Amino acid sequence: MSTRRDKRKQKFKARRRPRATLLNLVSLMDIFTILVFFLLVNASTAEVLPSPKNILLPEAGADKLPALNLVIAVDDRVIRLQGKQVIAVSDVLEDGKSSIRPLYDALLEARKTVKNLTDKQGVTIMGDQEIPYALLKKIMLTCTGAEYTNISFAVIQKVAES
Amino acid sequence: MSKRTARMRHPAAELNITAFMNLMVVLVPFLLMTAVFTQITVLDLKLPPPDALNKPQPEQKPYELRLTIRADSLVLSDNRVGLIKQFARRDGKHDFAQLKSALKQVKARIPAHTGITILSEQQTRYKDLIEAMDSSRSYRTQVEGEWVFAELFPNISIGDAARQVAK
Repeated sequence: MSTRRDKRKQKFKARRRPRATLLNLVSLMDIFTILVFFLLVNASTAEVLPSPKNILLPEAGADKLPALNLVIAVDDRVIRLQGKQVIAVSDVLEDGKSSIRPLYDALLEARKTVKNLTDKQGVTIMGDQEIPYALLKKIMLTCTGAEYTNISFAVIQKVAES
Repeated sequence: MSKRTARMRHPAAELNITAFMNLMVVLVPFLLMTAVFTQITVLDLKLPPPDALNKPQPEQKPYELRLTIRADSLVLSDNRVGLIKQFARRDGKHDFAQLKSALKQVKARIPAHTGITILSEQQTRYKDLIEAMDSSRSYRTQVEGEWVFAELFPNISIGDAARQVAK
């Protein structure tokens, strides 16, 4: 090939278009636009329950969305009501009583102080998937004692197997 | 003027999309951070009010379906014939798939019945209890090509399992 001719051609081209070439961003823009719309639609489903960091919720095929209830969060160490620590799990498991006194008091207190709940008798239990039934039973008995009778268990929605 | 020279005189107009790009670059990471990929839902359980225990019990005990979660098996029974079926633990997991198909058969026999009592031992893990509730509540089936939830026994009660008799 004639390299001299190529060089001349290049020189000619460079002289003809001195300005810097622009990046072609059209496809990137397309991706971003699609991504933004997808994420906006995803984000629009308002989240009622905060996703807990140290609690691994069990999975189930339930499709009912959580209501705005009192939230009892139980991990492997402490029981929390509305984010406030109530009692340690080990203390609950060790004493032989059927209900949990501090939680009962906290629930009655919450009845007076916490407003804007959809269901006055509703409570959502967010339990770690490893907690024993004995602990769950005590919590449920305490809730019934404090007249919170509609108990919901928070679960992670299982992807439907087809 | 030929077509070629016309193109050379007026090159295709470049849109200034820098501002838009900036917006996108900021918006995409922000939305990615706030995006929720695991949907949290709830399983409902209605407990009787505290004074329900004092109410008089009916003479003839109504039919009651029971599922007992043992450490090594799942036991399906009722208060008429007793044991219906037992599912041994398999591969370190409870056999909920088998349980579901057995429950479907029971449901076919007594379609009007909606209650089930799930009895757990003190050490039963919450995960197994939830899975048992989920299995006995409904199952997925195909109706005219669409996946729907079919009802099994949605009125779930929870109770303590009787101590296992030592063999």
